[in-house]
Amino acid sequence: MKDLLLYLLPIVILFIGGFTLMLVDAFQKEEGGLAVPTAMLHFAAAAAALALWPYAGNAADLARAQVAFNGWLAFDRTTLFLDITIALGGGLTTLLAGSYLAEHKLERGEFYTLITFASAGCMMLAGATDLIMLFIGLETLSLGVYALTGFRRTSARSQEGALKYFLLGSFAAALLLYGSALLYGMTGHTDLAGIRDALGRAVEMPAIAGQEGAAQFVAVQQTVRDRVTILAMVLVVAGLAFKVGSVPFHMWTPDAYEGAPTPATAYMAVTVKAAAFGAMLRVLIGVFGDTSGPASLAGGWPGLLVWLAVLSMLIGNLVALAQSSVKRMLAYSSIAHGGYILAAFVVAPRAESLAGGGGSVGQSAAAAVLFYLLAYTVSNVGAFGALILAGSRGKEAVSYEDLAGLGKRHPAVALALSFFVLSLAGMPPTVGFFAKYNVIRSAIEAGYPWLALAVVINSAIGVYYYLRVMVKMYMHDPQPGAVRAEPMSSPGISLTLIATAGMVLALGMMPQRFYGYALEAVKLAAAPIAAAPADAPPANAN
Amino acid sequence: MEPTQAAAAPTHLLSVLVWLPAIAGIFILFLPRQSPGMLRAVALGVGLFEFGKSLQLLIGSDYARGFRFVENVEWIPSMGIRYHLGIDGLSLWLVVLTTFLTPLVLYVSFGSIKARQKEYIAAMLLLQSAMIGAFVALDLFLFYVFWELMLVPMYLIIGVFGGPNRVYAAVKFFIYTFAGSIFMLVAIVYMVVTFKELDPSHRYSFDYQDLMRLGFPRWTEVALFVAFAVSFAIKVPMFPLHTWLPDAHTEAPTGGSMILAAVMLKLGTYGFMRFAMPFFPGASHMVGPTIAGLACAGILYGAAVAWRQKDFKKLVAYSSVSHLGFVMLGIIARTPQATTGAVLQSINHGISTGALFLLVGVIYDRRHTRDLGEFGGLAKVMPKYATFFILVTMSSIGLPFTNGFVGEFLVITGTFTADLLRIPYHVERSSGPSFVGMGPLYASLAALGVLFGAIYMLEAVQKVFWGPLNNPKNRKLKDLNERELIALIPLAILILWIGLRPQDFTKSIEPDVQGWIDQYEQKRVAVTRLGAQRPWMLSESDVRLPPRREPRAEAR
Repeated sequence: MKDLLLYLLPIVILFIGGFTLMLVDAFQKEEGGLAVPTAMLHFAAAAAALALWPYAGNAADLARAQVAFNGWLAFDRTTLFLDITIALGGGLTTLLAGSYLAEHKLERGEFYTLITFASAGCMMLAGATDLIMLFIGLETLSLGVYALTGFRRTSARSQEGALKYFLLGSFAAALLLYGSALLYGMTGHTDLAGIRDALGRAVEMPAIAGQEGAAQFVAVQQTVRDRVTILAMVLVVAGLAFKVGSVPFHMWTPDAYEGAPTPATAYMAVTVKAAAFGAMLRVLIGVFGDTSGPASLAGGWPGLLVWLAVLSMLIGNLVALAQSSVKRMLAYSSIAHGGYILAAFVVAPRAESLAGGGGSVGQSAAAAVLFYLLAYTVSNVGAFGALILAGSRGKEAVSYEDLAGLGKRHPAVALALSFFVLSLAGMPPTVGFFAKYNVIRSAIEAGYPWLALAVVINSAIGVYYYLRVMVKMYMHDPQPGAVRAEPMSSPGISLTLIATAGMVLALGMMPQRFYGYALEAVKLAAAPIAAAPADAPPANAN
Repeated sequence: MEPTQAAAAPTHLLSVLVWLPAIAGIFILFLPRQSPGMLRAVALGVGLFEFGKSLQLLIGSDYARGFRFVENVEWIPSMGIRYHLGIDGLSLWLVVLTTFLTPLVLYVSFGSIKARQKEYIAAMLLLQSAMIGAFVALDLFLFYVFWELMLVPMYLIIGVFGGPNRVYAAVKFFIYTFAGSIFMLVAIVYMVVTFKELDPSHRYSFDYQDLMRLGFPRWTEVALFVAFAVSFAIKVPMFPLHTWLPDAHTEAPTGGSMILAAVMLKLGTYGFMRFAMPFFPGASHMVGPTIAGLACAGILYGAAVAWRQKDFKKLVAYSSVSHLGFVMLGIIARTPQATTGAVLQSINHGISTGALFLLVGVIYDRRHTRDLGEFGGLAKVMPKYATFFILVTMSSIGLPFTNGFVGEFLVITGTFTADLLRIPYHVERSSGPSFVGMGPLYASLAALGVLFGAIYMLEAVQKVFWGPLNNPKNRKLKDLNERELIALIPLAILILWIGLRPQDFTKSIEPDVQGWIDQYEQKRVAVTRLGAQRPWMLSESDVRLPPRREPRAEAR
């Protein structure tokens, strides 16, 4: 039992911390001061995940692959890598919030409690090996994020975004639930390994075996099951694609991103995305990862995801071109980034990767997904942080016009924003370039050169609107009569910017180490659940 | 041989050259804005130090062959990315040109750029780093990083410090170049992945020498070559892809135009020589006549359009399109003379066009117009200016005893004997007399371009300097000041030096050009001999630098 809890240390830290924060907030006389403890909690969770890294399984040692918490949560390096990304994103956005909320007169303690619980939910989602856990994680994070979106209670935009997000999110959760129910109905299992095994078996010959028409009966049964499997897979993917915000499930993204307070936007863009992609990786490769089934690799979901990827890139980028609000532009660009990640995703589970051993192509593609999530987290948090600093007290900088002349007013902020925007655009030597390079390489390796071309052409489109930010900041003067932004006091944001800028540069110039971690992390993703049956005791008696 | 011995010793000279300006640029960002004197002193000091350091590259470079000053260490091992630098005769003078011009440009700009000097200096130094890096990188990943890194500072220099339409020009410049280079990225990655599949130990490698060993089926090779070529052709810029250049030049500040014309465009031609052609000899041989045709079209078109310009800077910009056509023609002709001439001409163009932009900037600073119709009779009020201008014009139109003559002459004579015929891919190059090709046709077209060049340049000189001094605004124009003189004198010396003693320069270019041609031919034969269906790995001996040949008599 002790071991089980130990494996869940990152989540446990966040939950206990969340409850403590709630109590502290209830008993303290003045609002505020919770940002640093919350960030510390997140960083502690990241540290815990890092500390557990050596104990998690890897490909060479499958016996030690763990399923914790009665088989509901995986304990492997994929999870830990995602946990680190999530905790990093959560911690950094909390630091942003610390200064932002105070300056915008929004400082209320529940923000930190909500964000902590949402992070715990994200980790549950990323590590879920059971459909029920998956759903619980999804809902835990969603409820937190809905509330965060509507946190600017006086702003109609914020309310509108929250309501849209909530309604559409509920709908998507229902889709996911429906898909899960179908899977359960067909297989009698909710755990991913059980579902996979049950789907892998042929339909059993019932008692009528040997009687006339038995063969047809089985054939019909098989056909029905195949069709329903496809339907279930599509429903589950749709539910998760909604959280990722990929086209055509992206409608809520711009409104929610624009309405939410900027730290919450950053949180949504990076952390929720990381969790949902983690869950997608696990479900699609874990359950539908074999080459034979109708919803599987050979003819199933990669074909679906290709379209999601290409549409997300194209529509996200094209619509981002037309935006006049920087926040909306970043929202649409996050849709496009989701598309790039999906492009690596499509090629991640190539057949040879599942055979174990030499499947380097699929592995490096899955590693590309993880690395991209990390890269996107640091670049995007930085971009949003700089955007917060570009605004003034009580008024966010949202439109391009607000940024005009920023290069003169706040050279440091303008420099930081340019830097992060260039990373998002994928310019070397930032991490954005290396992440994108990995996606391109994976696509070419897997024999999809046209997908690589789609990625680079879309990057070129993306460059145009990212450059507009720099154009406004450096090459335009503010409109006559425009309000001059007052600089905010913002130690937390400055710290975050310095930290993320350092990471963007370090990960871009020396990606060796973290890319290595990502590679190690997915060595297990090939067969994450099969290693230990759900009901077997954890094999870590050592 | 003694020089190669010296070069074999471990050295970090190239690293110093590449990184020092970037470090200085970042350092300058932290210096106080209030003391411009210190900013300038640091910038100029670094620039001059770089130039001095780069002269060390010349030691032992005469008649040497192959890569020198090599640095080769691991950077990202799991991706096969190395920090691999090296220099040879193709890149040597381009690096020296960069280090020579950057302090000059900085020095000139101190006079004309008043606002936000700090950012300007930082961008210039960063740009210098990226350009030198791109010239010396021998790892494709590293090269691509520098190649893209170049865009940002130049974008800022045009967009922040440029003329009225600067934003449009800057964005157009950035998008054009970026859009071109992403296809090169895909091609590079494709090559790397192919290398991994073919390599017995299944490692990735971005190394120049490793990727040289790849052979591709015909149409794959053509597709890869086109991906590289489009990226480089935009940078050069070659004829149909040149439209960003006049905008960028017209809007950029004087210093930006100088660097853009003198160095950045050369990265395009350099890319053809270093990467596109040696990697894909079969394809580039097949497409060669087309490229030569486009180069000639660019020569004539650029000249014709320059003739009709009213804006002085646009005139110089279009003349660049024309002059770079010569460089491309010389490269694609692949005869020792033509290609040596092309490398020399890319230096010459850097010097003379850099000087022209500087001179145009001089009157623009005084009159704030570049309209040719506004001027006339300036020789009377600005005699020193007129002297320098006419010297540079002579160099630009290729008059004997100036550098332009040497370069253009070598390119044209070399092209005349080149075998630029559209011959079928698999047919061996005929070993008979070399007049079987279409070389004479291309050479004649190019020679026509020289004539055109004389027409438009001399007409502009006539409009500006001779005739009556009608416009009263021009009466009180001041002649060159000290700063401008200091900047122009080194350029004038170089113009005459290369014109009078070209062998001082060609002796370190020629051996590597000869080696380049031999290597290219050797690999081309190896590639075309096989009608392969799949990519394959060439043997080491097919891509090795062939043994030195005795210099041919006519190459003199």
